[in-house]
Amino acid sequence: MSFEWPWQYNFPPFFTLQPNVDTRQKQLAAWCSLTLSYCRHRKLYTLDVMEAQESPVFNNKKIERKLSVEAIQVVFEELRKKGNLEWMDKNKTRCLIMWRRPEEWGKLIYQWVSRNGMVNSVFTLYELSNGDDTESEEFHGLEEWMLLRSLQALQTEGKAEIISMDDGKGVKFF
Amino acid sequence: MGNIFGRKRRPTRVTEQDRAILQLKQQRDKLKQYQKKITLQLEKERLLAKQLLKDGKKEKALLLLKKKRYQDQLLDKTENQISNLERMVQDIEFAQIEMKVIEGLKVGNDCLKKMHEVMSIEEVERIMDETQEAIEYQRQIDDMLAGSLTQEDEDAVLAELEAITQGEEVELPEVPSESLPEVPEVPEEEPERERVRKQPEREMLAA
Repeated sequence: MSFEWPWQYNFPPFFTLQPNVDTRQKQLAAWCSLTLSYCRHRKLYTLDVMEAQESPVFNNKKIERKLSVEAIQVVFEELRKKGNLEWMDKNKTRCLIMWRRPEEWGKLIYQWVSRNGMVNSVFTLYELSNGDDTESEEFHGLEEWMLLRSLQALQTEGKAEIISMDDGKGVKFF
Repeated sequence: MGNIFGRKRRPTRVTEQDRAILQLKQQRDKLKQYQKKITLQLEKERLLAKQLLKDGKKEKALLLLKKKRYQDQLLDKTENQISNLERMVQDIEFAQIEMKVIEGLKVGNDCLKKMHEVMSIEEVERIMDETQEAIEYQRQIDDMLAGSLTQEDEDAVLAELEAITQGEEVELPEVPSESLPEVPEVPEEEPERERVRKQPEREMLAA
C-alpha cells in the first residue's frame, strides 16, 4: 500500500512558509494533516526534527524542495497546539506524535478485549502490542509509551487498571 | 512470590491472583522473546552452513549444524515451558471462576435460608388450617343460602336439564346408512401419489 501524497506536495511554494496570514493558516493545516497521515501510514510514533528534514514528507526529491528546520518547527508547534504532538526534550529536537489520541487507542484496545471475551483478564503490555493474538489488530506494534497512555485513558474511565510490578507492567480490563 | 507492590490508590480491583497471572504471563513473554531470538539465530546459521558447504568448509559446517541442533532442542524446551506457563495461567483463571460460582451459590443459599426463616413449618401449618376452616365456614354459608331451594325445586331443575340434553340429541342429523365411499388405504399418501402421477418421468429417473 503506497502512500498517497496530496496535490500540494508537488507544488513548490508549499515548501516555503507563506507570509500572508490566511494562506499560511491553510498551508499549516495542510502540513499538519500531511504529517499525521504520513506517520499513520508508516506507523511512526516518534519524530526527530533533524531526521524529519530528510524524510520524504518534508523533503520532496522529485521537485527538489524541502521544508526548512524552522518551518518544520512551526508545523510541529501547530501540531502540538492541536494535541497531536508532544516534545520529548526541552530543546524541541524529538517529539512524540499522536496521529490517534490515547483515548481512541484505548477504545480500540477495549473493543478488541471485549470482542474476545477477555474482560476481567490480565495482560502484559508486551502481549498487547507484540502478542500473536493481536497480530491483525491496528494497535499491534504500538509503542509502549503510547500503549501506556491509552491504558491510562481507559483507567480514568474505570475500564482498566494498570498493574506495576518489579519487572514490567500489566493491565487488567474490567 | 516476592513481588514488590506498586503504588496503591483507590480500592484496587486487582487481586493477588491477578498479580500471579501477570507474573506468569511476563515469564511467558520473556520465553517468547527468547524463542524469537533463537528462531532467528537458527535461520541465520542454516544460511551460514549452506554458505560454508558451498565454500567447501565441511567441518565448520558440521560444527555449526551441531550447534544448531542444540539450539533446536532449546527451542523445544522453551515451547514446553511456555505451554506449562499457559496451562498454569488457565488453571488460575478457571479457579477464579469457580470461586465466583461458589460465592454465587453461597449468596443464593443464604437468601434461601433467610426466606425459610420467615416461613416456618408451623406457620404454614397454621395458615393451611385456617384456610381449611375458612373453606368450611364458607361452605356452611353456601349451604344455608342454597337451602332456600327445596328438594322439589332441585328435582325440577334436574328434569329441565335432562329435557334440554335430550332435545339436543333429537336434533342430531341422521347417521348416513350407506357405506363409506372407498378410501385409499393410506390417506396420507394421497398427495404424494398425485405428485407422482404428475411427474412420472422423474420417478422413473429416480427408479
